[in-house]
Amino acid sequence: MEADDLALVSRAKTGDPESFRALVVRYQKKVYAVALGIVKDRDLAWDVAQEAFVRVHAHLSDFKGESSFSTWVLRIATHLAIDSVRKERAGARRAIDDVSEPDLQEGGEGLLASALGNDPHESALRRELAGKMAEALAELPEKHRTILVLREVEGLSYEELAERLGIHKGTVMSRLFHARKKMQALLREYAGLTGHTASEGTEGGKP
Amino acid sequence: MMECLRFAPMLGARPGELTDEEAAALAEHLASCDACQARLADERALSGMLFEALAVEANRRDFSTFSDEVLARIPAYASGGVAPSRVLSPRPETRGLLAPILSWVRHHRLAAAASALAPTLAAAALILYLDRGSGPEPVSVVVSAEGRATTVLETSDGPVVLLGDPEPEGT
Repeated sequence: MEADDLALVSRAKTGDPESFRALVVRYQKKVYAVALGIVKDRDLAWDVAQEAFVRVHAHLSDFKGESSFSTWVLRIATHLAIDSVRKERAGARRAIDDVSEPDLQEGGEGLLASALGNDPHESALRRELAGKMAEALAELPEKHRTILVLREVEGLSYEELAERLGIHKGTVMSRLFHARKKMQALLREYAGLTGHTASEGTEGGKP
Repeated sequence: MMECLRFAPMLGARPGELTDEEAAALAEHLASCDACQARLADERALSGMLFEALAVEANRRDFSTFSDEVLARIPAYASGGVAPSRVLSPRPETRGLLAPILSWVRHHRLAAAASALAPTLAAAALILYLDRGSGPEPVSVVVSAEGRATTVLETSDGPVVLLGDPEPEGT
């Protein structure tokens, strides 16, 4: 049976490198996936993921097991990833989180669900779209990539997202709405379901 | 449409994330709004797909060196000479003592093999010497291996085998 995370952390705290290595191996792909989703660049994601484990090691003595080890390491990784793309955020056109009428006029809602059918998890289209999703994610602005990754991959709740991103719950919901809307527009485009693109207009339909 | 502005962002909520009032109002709206029903269907159809997509991306990369690279970036491990994951690593408490030796062996496999042979050759030389019987003159036999010299000396108490220390690298 695999040693549980707490046992490995406990041994790693005593300086056992192989226990720490076991933790790295256990979570390396998930940490890399989260980093990649936010920073887009594979080499930068690799570096961010490694740095996350280095930081984790440096603060092992602070880990008391109040949250799971995976939650902790992913939290550190997302902080580093967001920090590494801060320049992108600073240079980005100010996007608005509010939802206004033009956001609902694009149409196309339900097309993906219909195309994916009654059992979307088994469909070939789902596999094809999943193959395109990382590409689509990379086309989204940083704050939309980040909130989607935190929600879908790290699995944060609205409350946790609000705390992590320093925004209100209402803003969490509307930002997620915009991020998903753009993602769905790109996926419809890949699937040939519409001519709409996510790049049309600004977020919230405001300049 | 105006109602959708309020409810569309709530469609991705997980159980318990909306207040009771929000959840009840959303359910009432959904019952009469085809567009939001369609949005909810999209939401559910794509559920989990981003996680899969990024997992596929991660699986495309070769992670065989990842943990070694991480440990190399940690000063406490990097200076201690942690063995790469593919090499059997020594027990942590003996690592400090054995690491330099194992490291030398990894980098000087031929020399290590020759060094290991040196005592055997020395023993063979000793047997040859003893087989010749005691002669009038002191005899010394030197068996050199890469980085190590072994000498057999005749003394008044009989032959003595001296195993030499490894010579410094580069000599």
